[in-house]
Amino acid sequence: MSRKAITGLVAAMAVALTACTGNTAQPPAGSGQGGAKVANDEPGEKVVIGFSAPAADHGWMAAITNAAKAEAGKYSDVELRVVEGTNDVNLQISQVETFINDKVDAIVLLPFDGAALTPVALKAMKAGIPVINVDREFDSPFAARSTVLGDNYGMGVSAGTYICEKLKGKTGAVVAEIAGIDSLPLTQDRSKGFADALSECGLKVNNRVAAEFTVESGEKAAANLLQAAPKLDAVWNHDDDQGVGVSAAIKNAGRSEFFLVGGAGSANVMREIKADNGLHKATVVYPSTQGADGIRLARLAVQGKALGDLVEVEIPREIQLYAPVVTKDNVDRYLPAAFES
Amino acid sequence: MSEDTATRAAPRTNGTSFLASAPGRNTGLVVALVLLCLVGVVTAGDRFADLDNVLTILRLASVIGVVSVGMTFVITGGGIDLSVGAIVALASVWATTLATQSMATNTHWLIMVFTALAVGAGCGVINGALIAYGRIVAFIATLAMLAAARGLAEIISNRRTQIVNVQGFTAFFDASVLGVPVLVVVFALVAASGWVLLNRTTFGRRTFAVGGNPEAARLAGIDVRRHTVMLYTLLGVCCGIAAVMLVARTTTGSSTHGLLYELDAIAAVVIGGTLLSGGRGTIAGTVFGVLIFTTLSNVFTLNNLSISAQAVAKGAIIVVAVLLQQRLARRSTA
Amino acid sequence: MTSSPPPLLSVRGLVKRFPGVTALAGVDFDVRAGEVHCLLGQNGAGKSTLIKVLSGAHRPDEGEIRSNGEVVSFANPTAAMRAGVATLYQELDLVPGLSVADNVFLGHELSAGGFTRRAETRRRTRALLERLGHSDIPPDRDVGRLTAAQQQVVSMARALSRDARLLIMDEPSAVLDQDEVRTLFRVIRELTAQGVAVIHISHRLEEIREIGDRVTVLKDGRTVAAGLDVSAVSTAELIKLMTGREARNVYPPRRPVPPDAAEALVVRGLAVGRRAGVDFTVRAGEVVGLAGLVGAGRSEILEAVYGARKPTEGEVVVDGRRLKPGNVGAAVRAGVGLCPEERKSQGLLLDQAVYRNITVSSLPLFARMGFLDENAERTRSADLTASLDVRPSDVDRIVRTLSGGNQQKVVLARWLLRGCRVLLLDEPTRGVDVGARGEIYRLVRDLADRGVAVVVVSSDIDEVLGLADRVLVVREGRVVHEGPADEIDEARVLDLVMEGTAA
Repeated sequence: MSRKAITGLVAAMAVALTACTGNTAQPPAGSGQGGAKVANDEPGEKVVIGFSAPAADHGWMAAITNAAKAEAGKYSDVELRVVEGTNDVNLQISQVETFINDKVDAIVLLPFDGAALTPVALKAMKAGIPVINVDREFDSPFAARSTVLGDNYGMGVSAGTYICEKLKGKTGAVVAEIAGIDSLPLTQDRSKGFADALSECGLKVNNRVAAEFTVESGEKAAANLLQAAPKLDAVWNHDDDQGVGVSAAIKNAGRSEFFLVGGAGSANVMREIKADNGLHKATVVYPSTQGADGIRLARLAVQGKALGDLVEVEIPREIQLYAPVVTKDNVDRYLPAAFES
Repeated sequence: MSEDTATRAAPRTNGTSFLASAPGRNTGLVVALVLLCLVGVVTAGDRFADLDNVLTILRLASVIGVVSVGMTFVITGGGIDLSVGAIVALASVWATTLATQSMATNTHWLIMVFTALAVGAGCGVINGALIAYGRIVAFIATLAMLAAARGLAEIISNRRTQIVNVQGFTAFFDASVLGVPVLVVVFALVAASGWVLLNRTTFGRRTFAVGGNPEAARLAGIDVRRHTVMLYTLLGVCCGIAAVMLVARTTTGSSTHGLLYELDAIAAVVIGGTLLSGGRGTIAGTVFGVLIFTTLSNVFTLNNLSISAQAVAKGAIIVVAVLLQQRLARRSTA
Repeated sequence: MTSSPPPLLSVRGLVKRFPGVTALAGVDFDVRAGEVHCLLGQNGAGKSTLIKVLSGAHRPDEGEIRSNGEVVSFANPTAAMRAGVATLYQELDLVPGLSVADNVFLGHELSAGGFTRRAETRRRTRALLERLGHSDIPPDRDVGRLTAAQQQVVSMARALSRDARLLIMDEPSAVLDQDEVRTLFRVIRELTAQGVAVIHISHRLEEIREIGDRVTVLKDGRTVAAGLDVSAVSTAELIKLMTGREARNVYPPRRPVPPDAAEALVVRGLAVGRRAGVDFTVRAGEVVGLAGLVGAGRSEILEAVYGARKPTEGEVVVDGRRLKPGNVGAAVRAGVGLCPEERKSQGLLLDQAVYRNITVSSLPLFARMGFLDENAERTRSADLTASLDVRPSDVDRIVRTLSGGNQQKVVLARWLLRGCRVLLLDEPTRGVDVGARGEIYRLVRDLADRGVAVVVVSSDIDEVLGLADRVLVVREGRVVHEGPADEIDEARVLDLVMEGTAA
C-alpha cells in the first residue's frame, strides 16, 4: 500500500528547480525503487515527528491533519505528535516551542501565518531539528529544511485550459469565476492563472465574485452572480468547500445552462463528476495530502534517505505539487485521495 | 464596653473568613495551579517539569497576561472591554507598516513601540469617551470598537502579514535577562506595576470606588467619567504593549493577531476573583488565572489532547471558579 | 350609624417589626363596602408598611386581618388579589411597551389552548374602561403613550378585572393636575356607588375633605383615631392628631449664631427643572432646615447646590466664590459635603472597608506622588470612628455590616476628615434608630459650633424644627416661609406645606 502511495506521490509532483513542467507521465506499474538504491519503506531508526496546523475549520484543512495522521500510522518507525489546530499564532508558536523542548526529531508545520511562525521555525532549525514547511511559506529560506507547496497559479491555468477545451469553437461564450478570500495572495495567484489560460483561447472572465471559503459565503456569492449573469457557459469555483453553497444557490435559482469546474478536489465533487449527474464536470486538485507528504519527507530527512525516484542523495529543498484536472475519465485515480468536506 | 467587644468579635470571624479574604482567594488559585502542575508532571513527567517548558508556558502567558492585567482595571472599575483583541491587531499592524518601519530604521526601533502604545491608547480613549461621555453601554461601545479596529487593521495591512525588518527591535525582544526571556520580563513588570497601581495608589482606590458604587463615588467628589476614560486608556496601552510583544514573538504584524483575546482575558480576570460587576479586583488573581489557562493548554499539548477537549476543560474551570466565588461572596456578606 | 353588615375588611392589633424598627405598633381599623376610607399620617407614621401588609407584600408579626368577617392571611400579593384586595402604588406598575388591554390582563391573560384571545381581551377591557367612565382610552394604545391620569385608570381597570372589592390607592393625586384629580374623584365615586371600597392615602387635607367618608389617623405606627366621620372632624383636629407626639427627640441646645458670622453659603435664584428659583443664605456656624413634603423639591435643591444636578439657572456661592454649576468636583474642592438621601445607593461603597469609605473624598491627603499611605488612612479613620463612637470601631470592617446609624456616621466622618465648610444633610436620620439619632443630632450641632454651615433636609418636621436655627418651608420648589426655628411650631409648618387650608 505504502509503496503504491509513494509512487503516486512521485508522479504527482514536480521539482521546483525544474519548474512546473506539467509532467503527468503515468508511473510504470510496480515500480517503487528509484535510482538511489535505498529501500525507503524499510523500517529505519525511530523518528519522532511533531505536527502542527491551523484549526480544522474547513474541510480541506481537516483533511490535511487526517491524511498526515494516516500516513504516519503506516510506518512502524514514526511516532507522530499532533497538536490540534489553532488560528492563534501565539499558541501555535508555543506548540512548536514545546516540540523543541521535547527534542523531537523533525517538525512538520503548516503555519496559520507563514511569516509569523518563521522565528520559531528558525529556532527549531538552529536547535538541529529539521522543519518541513507545508503549504504556507515561511519568509526565510533558512527556516525550513524542505517546503511542500501547492500550485495556486497552476490551479487557475488548469481550470482555464479545461474550460477552453470544453468551449472550443464557441465564440462569445460567457465565463464566470467564484474566487475565495480576495485579499489572499493565493486567491490572486489562482485568478491570474485562470485569466492567463483563458486569454490563450480568446476567452475572458465575464463575471467575477469572491466568497470566503465557507458554505455560507459560497451560497451568497453565487446567488449574486446568478442574478448578475442571466446566461452563462462555464463557471470556475475556487474551492469545493464553498462549492457546497454554490451548488445550493444554483439549485435554488433553477439554472443548468452552464457547467461548473471545482477547485481543491473534494470527494463530494469527484463523486458528482463520476456519476455525471450534476453541473460539476471537472475539478482542479489542490492536494490535501501535502501534510502527509511532509510526514514522509520528515522521516526521510531524519533517516538520511533520499527521495525514491530521484538520483539525488538528499531530499529536495522545495517541492511544488501539480494541480491536475479531474474529469469523468480519470476520476477513479484521484477519488481515493480526495478529502471529505 | 463588654458589649462592644462582643459585637465586634462575633461577626468578624464569619464576616471575613480566611477563604474569603484576599490571600485566601489566591490560595484557592494556587492550589488549582499546583494541582494542574501535578497532573502535568504525572502525565508528562520530565517534559513538563523541564525549565524550557516552564519558559514556554510563561512566554505563552505573557502576551495575554498583559492584556488581562489591563482588563482587571476596567472590570474592577465596573466596565468591560470586548475590543482588546482587535486593538492588539490594529496596534500590531500600525506598528509594522512600511512607513513606521522605515521611520524606525532611520531613527530608533522604539518608534514602533511608541506607535503601538499610541494606537492602543487612542482606541482606549475612544472607548472610554463613548462610554463615559456618550453614555453608550460598555458592552456595545467596545463591540463597535471590536468590529471597527479589526476592520481598520485589515484595511491598513490589506489583509497581508507585515514582516518586521527592523533588526534592533527583534534583537531586543529576542534576548533574555538572566535566562528569562524579555517577553516574560515585560509581563512581570506590567503585572507588578499593575499591582502597585491598583493597591497602593489614589488611582487604584478610585477604581474600586467607581466600580463599587459609581453614584456614591460621584457624590464623594470623584470625577467618575474622567476616571472611566483613564481606565479604558490604561487597558488600551496594555493592548499596545501586548501588540509589541506579539509583533516581537512573530516578527509580524497582522489583522488576524489577537483573535478571541477578549474572551481569554475576561476568563482569566474572572477566575482570578475579580468581580464582574465591579468594585473588587485582584491583579495577583488575574496572573494566576492566566497561568492556569496557559498551563492547562501546555499540559494538553504535551499529552497530545485536542484543543476541543481543552476548550471543554476551560469552560468547566470557569464555571467552577465562578460558583466558588459566589459562595465565598455570599459567606462574606452573610 | 345604623346596624351594618360585617365590614369588608377589618384590621386588629397589627404589628410589623423590621430589624431595629417597629413600623407598625398596633393598628386597628375597619373598611366598609362602598366607602372611601382615608389614611392620614406623617412620613414614617407607618402608612406604607400598612399598605404593604394589606396587599400581601409583607406578613404581619402580630394581629389579624378579617375579610367579610373571616380571618385571612395574605402570603403574597397574588393571594391578596385573589381575596379581592388590589393596590395601586405611587409608581404605577404598568408595562409601558404593552397595550392597554395587555396591561389590564397581565398575569391572568385570557387564552384558549395557549393562544391569547385578543378580541375578547379588547372587548372586556373596553367594558371595564366604560365602567370607569373612560371609554375614551383605546384598548390598543401603548400604555407608554397615555397621560399619567389615563395610566391610573388603566391600573384601576386592571384591579377591577380581578374582581377587586377593595382598592388601595397610595397618593393617587400626587402625579395629577387639578382637572385630572377631579376626574379621578368622579371615577372613585362611580366605583363606590358599585359597592367597591377604596382606601385613599393622601397628604392633602382638603382632598380628604372632598372625597373621603371616614378617616383613620396613624402616628408612630399606631392608630390614634380610627374611622372618624370626615364631616364631623375639623382640619385643626386632624393636624393635632397627626403631630401630637408622645416621645420627643432630644435635641442639643442651640448656640446663637454671631451676627457677624460670615455667609458661608449663598444660594441665589437656584432653579431646578421648570421650578422657580430659590434664594437662601447660611452663615458659618448656622444650621438651616428645609421642611417640605417628599417631592416638594428639597432634595433637588440640595443636589443642585452640590453640583450633582445641573440647575436651569441661578448660582451657588461658597465663601464668596461662585461655584461652577453642575460640577461635584468644584463643590467638593470649595469645601461642600453631602450626606445623600439614599445612603446605601448614593453615599457608601457598601462592600468596602470603613476606612476606605471615610478617606475616599480626601485621598490626596494620604498620597505622595499618587502612592497611598494606608496606615495613615487607617489611623486617621480610627481617630474619627472613635470620636464619633462608630460601633464596632474596627476600620477594616465592611460597611455593609454596620447598622444604619453607624453607616451615617461613616458618611459624616468622611466630611469631617475633609474639613468641609458647608455640609448638606439629606434625611440624615432615615433608617437610623432612635438612640443613634440623638448622637447624630449632637454631631451636627457640634460641627456647627465649629463654624460649619449646615443645611438639613428632613421629612420629619419635628427634626427640622429641633435641629435647625432657621427653617425654610418649601412647597413645589418654592420657599413659602423663612424664619427662626423656635418661632414656629409643627402644626403651622404642616399647614404651610399642605397648601394652607387650616383655619
